[in-house]
Amino acid sequence: MQNRVISRKDLASFVDDLIKTKSAGEVIGIKAQGNKFNFGPLASAAELRLDYDISLLPPKKYFFPQTETVLKYEVGKTPKVEAVAAEKPLCIIGVHPFDIRGLLLFDAVYGGKEPDPNYFLKRNKAIIIGVDCLSPNPKSFAASMGTNITEEGFDLMLTDLGGDYFVTVGTNKGHNLINKAKTREAGAPDLEKRDKVRKEAEKKYQVSLKMKKEEIPALLDATWESKLFKDRSETCFSCGSCVMVCPTCVCFDVQDEMALSLKGGERYRRWDGCMLTEFASVASGENFREHKEQRFRHRMYRKGKYLVERYKYLGCVGCGRCASACLAEIASPAETYNLLKEAK
Amino acid sequence: MKPRVAFFDFTGCEGCQLEVLNFNLEIVDLIGAVDIVEFREASSDHSDDYDIAFIEGSQTTDRDVERVQKIREKAKILVALGACSCTGGVNALKNRFSMEENLKVVYGDSAKLYSTIPTRPTSAYVKVDVQIHGCPPNRNEVISLVKCLLTGKKFEQCHNPVCVECKLAENICAFERGEFCLGPITRGGCNAVCVTGGRKCWGCRALVDEPNVNSEKEILKKYGLTMDDMMLQFKLFNGALEVSK
Ligand code: SF4
Ligand code: SF4
Ligand code: SF4
Ligand code: SF4
Ligand code: SF4
Repeated sequence: MQNRVISRKDLASFVDDLIKTKSAGEVIGIKAQGNKFNFGPLASAAELRLDYDISLLPPKKYFFPQTETVLKYEVGKTPKVEAVAAEKPLCIIGVHPFDIRGLLLFDAVYGGKEPDPNYFLKRNKAIIIGVDCLSPNPKSFAASMGTNITEEGFDLMLTDLGGDYFVTVGTNKGHNLINKAKTREAGAPDLEKRDKVRKEAEKKYQVSLKMKKEEIPALLDATWESKLFKDRSETCFSCGSCVMVCPTCVCFDVQDEMALSLKGGERYRRWDGCMLTEFASVASGENFREHKEQRFRHRMYRKGKYLVERYKYLGCVGCGRCASACLAEIASPAETYNLLKEAK
Repeated sequence: MKPRVAFFDFTGCEGCQLEVLNFNLEIVDLIGAVDIVEFREASSDHSDDYDIAFIEGSQTTDRDVERVQKIREKAKILVALGACSCTGGVNALKNRFSMEENLKVVYGDSAKLYSTIPTRPTSAYVKVDVQIHGCPPNRNEVISLVKCLLTGKKFEQCHNPVCVECKLAENICAFERGEFCLGPITRGGCNAVCVTGGRKCWGCRALVDEPNVNSEKEILKKYGLTMDDMMLQFKLFNGALEVSK
């Protein structure tokens, strides 16, 4: 597909047009929230902050909302159960490559033989306009995870070349969309410039893995007994912040909520995570990961081993959100893997 | 038969009852589902019967203690409603002073006519079946509890710290705004309303099951705060708890 180059001004008109015509669905974009950034509905292209580092919550919230009703029911003589799942066409602007990688992992986990309808009804309709991350968060280690750049998972990918944006076209949908904007064909020098900008950005990552990412599963295989898990989790609050902000955390809890009339109710799901004390407790009262070091270790294995074995994707894309959110400063998988390697 | 529900008022601001009566549309359903009998004076308790007793406020005199013990005898289920009853709440601030001092400050020259005891949670005097935390408590939790009682489901209070709901609400962490927040050690269930409203968590819903108080102290240092800063904030709602001492 032919890549394009677009000026800042024309990109703004393009986005404003998407907002006005809703031709690609509701337009969501990355915006400032206080001194941080977050995804939200876009009122105008001027709100876009394509120069951001990380969003408070990853864009997964649009396909897998924090709480979501999945079932409505009525009880009584003729009980009724109705699945609730709705399409919602969205166009999300400003998704970083590592978050796109997070979505691809989600696709794998929520797909398979029994695809999750609530997720895919929204996901399949969505248009993803990515942007290369040129000012990485100080806690991010996406470059080490190979997720600072992605060749798939987007319809369009923007790269800020200084004056203009390079537009990498990923799909036919993206091609048709950008065709409506005023652009010019990208030539070899433009492509060279894009790759140079990406290389420069790669050097800005302040945290890096002291091993190849492919070595993580074997490292974990050899360190199950390590004292480090206990030591490092000593200050853990079990507050769950690390799992709540993670673009690759897929877990949820399911609850039935009866209406006060007691004539019916609904079933909803809500984000849940393995760092919380009750996550692994079952009806009998047993808690399979009762101690915080068990939960801490589990998360590290989950990210670095279990998911790779099952889905071929590492369970961490290195965005650095967990490390930024963790008040105890212990959540970064990269730091733990590095320490495990050092201690070995 | 509809369960009979009674609310009993002790030392508190009555904000809890206000909050319960505040749930607009749902109150209609609630009234349909249960019989509400509201009591204000202990003396008239004896003749009536009720299944579920909500205790609001702390017991701050010997008479209060006797009264709550009588209520316990009659109630099938006793619920501590709100911070004052669950933990002693703001009332526990008075435990920092001697009871004589307290009486003098409040009643001046007539102090001799009154008596008062240190604030303790209701559970210090009687068995409490369910705690609905918060100052004020979250009305959804009250409704949830009523539904559980009606359907025979076990009521589960929130086990997560406030941080979980705070993250779900997409707040910027109070610590990043240079404030000291008790969210990591405080029981959630309030949707982190205070942080969402631009403030911080004051710990009104008491401690989570496994509070890492030591770690909370560690972050203090990091953010240039002192232990006194934390205790002052912590004791506002949790002064009657062991960890406060
Ligand atoms: S690792 Fe950090 S963010 Fe995660 S639960 Fe523990 S204290 Fe909270
Ligand atoms: S574990 Fe942390 S760094 Fe890795 S993807 Fe999740 S939030 Fe990002
Ligand atoms: S098991 Fe833990 S690390 Fe894995 S997705 Fe669930 S919450 Fe995230
Ligand atoms: S503001 Fe308080 S409750 Fe919210 S995440 Fe930060 S510490 Fe937790
Ligand atoms: S945020 Fe904290 S202080 Fe506010 S209602 Fe919740 S527990 Fe209470």
